Amino acid sequence: MTTQIAPTSMALTPTKPMWPYWAEIVNIQSEAPGIATYWVRYLDPAVRKGYTFRPGQFNMLYLPGYGEAAISISSDPEELDTIGHTIRSTGSVTQNISRLKVGDVIGVRGPFGTSWPIEQFKGVDLIIGTGGVGVPALRPVIYHVIRHRQDFDRVVLLYGARTPKDLQYTREYEGWEKAGIETMITVDRADETWQGQVGVVPILFYRLRMDPKKSVVLTCGPEIMIRYVVFEALARRVPSSRIFVSMERNMKCGLGQCGHCQIGPYFVCKDGPVFSFEALEPYYSVEEL
Amino acid sequence: MSELIPDVGTSFALQKKELNKLLASLRRLGYQTIGPHVENDAIGYGPIEGIDDLPRGYTSEQDAGRYRLVYTGHTRYFDVTPGAQSWKQFLFPPRSSLFTVRKTNGKWQADEEDQPPPTYAFVGVRPCELSAILIQDRVFLRSEWSDPIYRLRRQSAFILAVNCLHPCGTCFCASMGTGPKAETGFDLSLTELEDLFLVSIGSEAGRMALAGLTIQPASAFLLQAASKGLDDARKHMGRTLPDSKTLPDLLLNNLEHPQWDDVAKRCLSCTNCTQVCPTCFCWDANDQPNLSNDYTQRVRVWDSCFNPDYSYIAGGNTRPNTRARYRQWLTHKLASWYHQFDILGCVGCGRCITWCPAGIDLTAEIAAIREGKVS
Amino acid sequence: MSCDPQEIQAALQTIPWFQEIAPEYFDKLCGISSLRQVEPGDELFREGDKEDYLYIVLEGRIAIEIFVPGRGRMRIYTAEPMDVVGWSSTTPVVRQRTAGARAVFPSRLGVMEAQKLKQLCDEDHDLGYVVMRRVANVIASRLLVTRLQLLDMFAHPTEEMKNE
Repeated sequence: MTTQIAPTSMALTPTKPMWPYWAEIVNIQSEAPGIATYWVRYLDPAVRKGYTFRPGQFNMLYLPGYGEAAISISSDPEELDTIGHTIRSTGSVTQNISRLKVGDVIGVRGPFGTSWPIEQFKGVDLIIGTGGVGVPALRPVIYHVIRHRQDFDRVVLLYGARTPKDLQYTREYEGWEKAGIETMITVDRADETWQGQVGVVPILFYRLRMDPKKSVVLTCGPEIMIRYVVFEALARRVPSSRIFVSMERNMKCGLGQCGHCQIGPYFVCKDGPVFSFEALEPYYSVEEL
Repeated sequence: MSELIPDVGTSFALQKKELNKLLASLRRLGYQTIGPHVENDAIGYGPIEGIDDLPRGYTSEQDAGRYRLVYTGHTRYFDVTPGAQSWKQFLFPPRSSLFTVRKTNGKWQADEEDQPPPTYAFVGVRPCELSAILIQDRVFLRSEWSDPIYRLRRQSAFILAVNCLHPCGTCFCASMGTGPKAETGFDLSLTELEDLFLVSIGSEAGRMALAGLTIQPASAFLLQAASKGLDDARKHMGRTLPDSKTLPDLLLNNLEHPQWDDVAKRCLSCTNCTQVCPTCFCWDANDQPNLSNDYTQRVRVWDSCFNPDYSYIAGGNTRPNTRARYRQWLTHKLASWYHQFDILGCVGCGRCITWCPAGIDLTAEIAAIREGKVS
Repeated sequence: MSCDPQEIQAALQTIPWFQEIAPEYFDKLCGISSLRQVEPGDELFREGDKEDYLYIVLEGRIAIEIFVPGRGRMRIYTAEPMDVVGWSSTTPVVRQRTAGARAVFPSRLGVMEAQKLKQLCDEDHDLGYVVMRRVANVIASRLLVTRLQLLDMFAHPTEEMKNE
């Protein structure tokens, strides 16, 4: 099983764990059509000071009148004054969050879930395979890598999007390369201006020269993409205990209490969302579980 | 005179009419006394004043998809197995307010309910139901956090348990190790014999509630009669679910068993089983705003894994059919639950069997899975 | 364009598959190969062309494109180092190129004459088997990529949403 979160400072009251914590939107950054990052700052100075999170965790964002949505934290885990959430507008909560402005206040509860186990693997080759809505959950890992680059040997980022316009965090790619992250970008469909790769993320993995004995694979994105990245990793003989995936299910409480997010015996909000593939394997390929 | 009241852990005999004094004492202490009574041709749980409100003389005939409350005229007050309702509705209400939120000067403010939670005395909790409460304690009260709605009702609840001498057609508490005798978790428990209650004291609160009652020592004869009655009950369960310890592996290793297709043809996905089950705990939270959206109430309601939207995620439903949902329910109840809470989720009360309109019997489903099982 | 045998051998040896086959097969294949350097925009072949050559990308990037009237040349795939371009020249059924190939970056390619490759395979069926297995893998990989592109896995969900 992946690392369980230690009891860190949280925006959560143990005696009433569904109670909202208010935070002000201080910045909104458009990333791609329908996707924007919302930077929030907790109103309560004590929470602002105490709140920490680990890469891979998520918050429950609450918009009064609409409800809560589980959103991966996409900002730097060592920059905690404001917390970033990259949100794609899909349902009524996220669509209405996308209508908010700087200065508006929302509820932010968390952090919840398990995190990418990057601290327990030193000196490894880190291979990150991601795309679409999976990228935000891995950006905190990139921040961590940039700050602690010497902890890893090779760091490879394989990132896919539907079209060039859908690529997120484009301003940051150059910085990632400069920090020693081999950044390989691909799109499913090109446009007239695109000179980069055209193809899917799993093929980037397929072509990658890598040493399975010292590789750790992190993957997050649409489940189809995850499935094929995992297949490639296993085919290259990366042990399933060193392949980590972030799963998504319907989440209502973040606590492992309302029941909705279960996959087999696991609560994705509590035993995940980050799982080692070894732990997930017995349930992963059971359809409709 | 507390020196006349026996210690915690001991038993004594009580004239049946003395129970009225006990209920009155509890009410004086501020408890709402809730117990079984007849309503809508079934046994339900509601406020009771005294033993005359109890379903004396009734029995229930229960089978898969069948419930009949029958008046036989017997003289016992508690000798009828429960109906659809369980005590879950009091500790984990079907609908409760989490908080309300108001917008003042552009800022949101959350407010708690200012009504104090009710203080309940549950009178007539069956051993299976008591086990269910102890299971739900693990769900709602954790070391890292606890649900305030459950906690406030639970910590003040007084429990008078009643052991079962006559299980019904769908009972299988003996298979699950949850009955027919309550072993722990009660303030008082009683076994009803023909003329007397044999009462055990489970806690200091139970002991204190006995002040002013006339109690008699429990004779060896009485103890023997109770013991024999419970032994007989153990042997006359309506159903069995053998080898319950093997259930987690059985189910998690047989997720593609053809029996799931078979039960899916019969199951209506109606959610009855999850509503009557005393351990099912799934819930949803939604907002109920006013028209100008400057005030909203955040409400928690019972949910069910059989509801179509339960497994909805952006782009689709991960359990889009009855087969997937029934499998989720049964596998959670008898397998995953063990990994999550160190105990199985089923107490053998049989409600899901009785109240299923399609008459699906999980003991039969398990037997079918065992037959064609993998490993 | 280079026909220097040593240079050809050194270049093809960087490809893992060539390292894995028997040395005598490697020698035979090198014998029908040459090296070619292309600049951005250079076309390898167009849709409708006869298939004459099989290309192995050693360095650079080659775009596979299909012309759609009204939408222009649609880039559907990019071949990277170690990829094969123009595999259809080895398969008997397909008679002409179904897509065009054009260099995106300055690229270095291993080039095999399809006719000569066919001849080698006809003469030595064991070599033919090894080559066809490789071609089958190339096609399988291409098919998988195409299927995943078809599934459009990054598309925004279009059904009516609730809550989230």
